[in-house]
Amino acid sequence: MLTIKTEIAALLHAEHMHTVEALQDLEEFLANQTARRVPDARTGEVRGILSGLIATVAAEVGRHFGFEEDHLFPMLLEKGEGGIATFLTEEHAAILPLAQGLAGRAAKAMADGGFTAESWTSFHAQGMELCEREISHIQKEEMGLLAAIAMYIDADADRNLAALYQKLMDAA
Amino acid sequence: MIFGDFMMGARSRLLPPSIPFRFFGAAVFFQIAAWGLIAVYAEELPGYLGGPGEMLAALHLVTLGVALMTAMGASFQLLPVVTKKPLHSVGACKVTYWLFLPGVLMLTHGMGHQQLWAMEGGGTLAVVGIFLFAGLVIDNLRQMSDLRVVTDHVWVAIASLLLLAVLGLTLLADFRAGFLSDHVAVAMAHAVVAAYGFMGMLALGFSFLLIPLFGLSSPPDETNGRRAAYVITAGLLLAVAGLLFDSLAGVIVGALCGLTGLGLHLWVMAKVMKSRMKRALGDSFILIRTGWLLLPVSIVLGMAAAGGIMVDRSGPLFGFVLVFGWLLSFLMGVLQRIIPFLASMHSVRPGVKPILLSVLTDPRFLRIHMIGHLTALVLVGIGIAAADGSIVRAGALAGLVGALGFAAFAGRVGWTLRAHLKTAP
Repeated sequence: MLTIKTEIAALLHAEHMHTVEALQDLEEFLANQTARRVPDARTGEVRGILSGLIATVAAEVGRHFGFEEDHLFPMLLEKGEGGIATFLTEEHAAILPLAQGLAGRAAKAMADGGFTAESWTSFHAQGMELCEREISHIQKEEMGLLAAIAMYIDADADRNLAALYQKLMDAA
Repeated sequence: MIFGDFMMGARSRLLPPSIPFRFFGAAVFFQIAAWGLIAVYAEELPGYLGGPGEMLAALHLVTLGVALMTAMGASFQLLPVVTKKPLHSVGACKVTYWLFLPGVLMLTHGMGHQQLWAMEGGGTLAVVGIFLFAGLVIDNLRQMSDLRVVTDHVWVAIASLLLLAVLGLTLLADFRAGFLSDHVAVAMAHAVVAAYGFMGMLALGFSFLLIPLFGLSSPPDETNGRRAAYVITAGLLLAVAGLLFDSLAGVIVGALCGLTGLGLHLWVMAKVMKSRMKRALGDSFILIRTGWLLLPVSIVLGMAAAGGIMVDRSGPLFGFVLVFGWLLSFLMGVLQRIIPFLASMHSVRPGVKPILLSVLTDPRFLRIHMIGHLTALVLVGIGIAAADGSIVRAGALAGLVGALGFAAFAGRVGWTLRAHLKTAP
């Protein structure tokens, strides 16, 4: 990504940056906590991290991926540029269940008052995996997808896509 | 293949993985060979001011074997992404490799053993490979009107590449015929064009793509990035003219111009780094920053050598800092990010999770490489300054251990990807 020339690319880029920040907070928390030390899910810091995972990461990822697959990728496909759509969809299929599963576990831990040693070890491993997969995925979208948008999405389609995505974000 | 369609989507805009990885694999091998050669013939480096022998071979193992090999692999992979245009021919990339690889082997063998026939044969093969590479790049860059900050740098790099190839062949012919009135001046011009004009501009140009990608940064300042390229190019022209026409003033003004342009480039990169979202950048950026630091240092040393200040120390230090300090540090920093990133992308298959970068990369090997490389830079630098071959040897051995660590890292990436692809449906 060198320059952002379309409205929809600017929106997606801004959301990428927001997601990266949330993921890095999660990653730093998991790294400091280690897989062995079960956190106290009643403290404000831990609840903030877990809420962030549910509200920001899982929700954003779900909306972002859904929008790309339902609205953006079909347009690229029409232009004969299906390769990038297929590639990124394969990665979405690996990331989305991971993000949603973790969000579910985080919600359960907050409701139950915490993690067990076993559930924390598993949560820790999958949390680290999510951070790594999603940040790497964002790097690929920044380099490939935003450039593809600049090349293949015309001004009218750009305006429509941006309006639609803005509406989805406002509704969240 | 899915990966072949990635980035800009169009089929064949990116290459089969075997194309870039064959170049990167050769670069890994040549890095080991270069440090190994210096370790064996360490006494020859202090006071070395040019001419055939093991030091000339070691120098070319890095410039051609590591730097140009990496540049070819990276250009073939990245240029189609930048230009949104597929390469003219994948077969031509393979031919480039099969001309250039034996060319470098034969040329460096000839330099080390002072065998003219091998230097001439190897040099010719390498230059034909270089011309083919340049042709592919020029064909891809034509009609390109976007991303000028990258393509401006690449155009200067390609012009430099052609000039350095011509100068290199002239130097080889002069070993036999002795027609040049000042062989050393032409050799210096050849070195400056190669390290600053070709490799330097290519590395600086691709930095506008790669550094924001690695750091997830804001877009770079293209206007000042292009201004930096023009100032550096002016400096390059002045310095080369100064060397060829025996004008110290030309060399000094050119070097100052280069320093100014480089300062502007590094200021743009500093802004990119400041805007990055990725907090932890890892060991690779220690090497990249080392390269950035040593690039201006090399220019200062070059001015000292050109001015005749302690030339038996400043001359070899200039060559070492330029080639091993700037080029090798920067390229290895970039390569250790690109190799697993590309491998991870190649691992995408329907219904199978792509391999995690943490599974592909063993940080212990990269740590061994970084410590070995940085230790080598310090010790060999001290050895040259103190005119002590034993310190140079200790440094080169550290560099060799580091290079072996890098080979283990690259081998693990290749092995893991291969195993993954075998098991994937």
